[in-house]
Amino acid sequence: MKPLWTGSIGFGLVNIPVKLYSAVQNSDLDLDMLDKKDHANIKFKRVNADTGKEVLWENIVRGYKINERYVVLTEKDFEDANAKKTKIIEIEDFVLEQEIDSTYYEMPYYLEPDKSGTKAYALFREALTKSKKVGVATFVLRNKEHLAILRAVNGVIVLNRIRFDEEVKDTGELKLPAKSEVKPRELQMALSLINQLTTKFDISKYKDTYAADLMKVIKAKAKGTKTVLPKMKVSHKAGDLMSQLKESLSRKKKKVS
Amino acid sequence: MTIRVDKHDVFLTNQNKLYFPADKISKGDVVAYYDSMYKWINPYIKDRPQSLRRNPDGILNEGFFQKDAPEGLPSYVKTVPIHSDSGNKDIDYIICNNKATLLYMNNLGCIEINPWFSNTRHLDKPDYFVIDIDPSPKNSFEEVIEAAKAVKEVLDRAKAESYCKTSRATGLHVYVPLGAKYTYDEAKDFSHLVAMMTQELLPDTCSLERSLSKRGNKIYLDYLQNRRGQTLACAYSLRPKQGASASAPLEWSEVKKGLHPSQFTVKTLPKRVEKMGDLFSGVLGKGIDIRKCLKNLGA
Repeated sequence: MKPLWTGSIGFGLVNIPVKLYSAVQNSDLDLDMLDKKDHANIKFKRVNADTGKEVLWENIVRGYKINERYVVLTEKDFEDANAKKTKIIEIEDFVLEQEIDSTYYEMPYYLEPDKSGTKAYALFREALTKSKKVGVATFVLRNKEHLAILRAVNGVIVLNRIRFDEEVKDTGELKLPAKSEVKPRELQMALSLINQLTTKFDISKYKDTYAADLMKVIKAKAKGTKTVLPKMKVSHKAGDLMSQLKESLSRKKKKVS
Repeated sequence: MTIRVDKHDVFLTNQNKLYFPADKISKGDVVAYYDSMYKWINPYIKDRPQSLRRNPDGILNEGFFQKDAPEGLPSYVKTVPIHSDSGNKDIDYIICNNKATLLYMNNLGCIEINPWFSNTRHLDKPDYFVIDIDPSPKNSFEEVIEAAKAVKEVLDRAKAESYCKTSRATGLHVYVPLGAKYTYDEAKDFSHLVAMMTQELLPDTCSLERSLSKRGNKIYLDYLQNRRGQTLACAYSLRPKQGASASAPLEWSEVKKGLHPSQFTVKTLPKRVEKMGDLFSGVLGKGIDIRKCLKNLGA
């Protein structure tokens, strides 16, 4: 595993050097887009919307539309706006985890202590576990400041990115029923149903079987049907040799007949 | 000592000399191997000029190539004079058409058998072409297998039949029958195309670069053997390398991870061929139609 980022946790006067790893992986199958006719790979091109001609990467800039006109941004503009690069996961507060609504949760990452930080890491992990609290921290990843919580889970300190309040939409536009519309007897029934279905949460019970099912279909298809080979790419060099050889063979055939 | 082989008296010398000292295999063992394998090897050497690769002192000594038949040939050994442009003279090549001649060659120190790609009926038209998959010391055998499969993929697209054999403990040969319908130049050009398209499939591990220094740690896809007078160790030939490996014809289904070419040796190949039969006979078949193959490749 390669760390995405290295830095340290700033906890009071102590710095704990850590490496940050992604905690999640994709379980989807990697499918390619093909032309139905000959199974050639589909390629994307960036084209000029007016002329339809391809535009090279080096000729592409990014802009923002204001008053029907584009303001084009340069590398320098982006740099000026970037968060100042720091290497610190700065802990601001400690809170109870249940106070954070799950709507705010984003990507989880694992934190691994650097060699020189194992003692401090262990101490911080113990303190988090004992206090049953999580640390609220800010840090800069890829030029952008992020908000996160740090919590101890099964021996590892997990950094869970959380959304800023501005990123979560207001619910005002949704048409929601008032509280008073619920009858007490019906509520009683609903509650008892919930009680009946209540168990301990076990994530291993829930499987993403889509990828596995799709793989089964693919394997069965590969076995039963003749797979269509995509057309071979022929380079200029090979193409030249090919036509040369074809030419000389057909000349010979003419001579014979 | 003299042994009687098919009504010919073959005079053998120094049969106890160790040819493969580490493997404790003597010159007599090599003669005995070819004696028992003659039936299988015969189709691949019959009527073909033989380049003699001689290791009279065994494998620890480099040995040498000799094309001209030595003086004082026994009467059962036939030769054919072929004009050599480079030397501007005729060379008398040995033609190996009976078991006595093969054993005579073994006694000269031929551990490896190197026949021409064409036979005396049409010396200018090869019966097959070969892509020699020759790894550098840094390539794994898995990479060699990948390369052989890529050669097959190109040939499959061309709808050309192909046959694979081990070269020695490290490389593989892919043979394609031509049925003596094409000149060496045409065979070389088509094999060049196949090698080029293979290299384009595996640009990171394969090279067509002749120069060793430019090739680096890549597998050499050698198509340049498909020229008049060039030779490769034929099917069932032993190789003068430690381990006494032999060139073993394979089923394509065997060319996969887990194949260990060092398992085919002077000791094991005779049993294998009795069980599997000759997997290489198609190489001498009617041959591919290069024009159709080019069309299938999109020309």
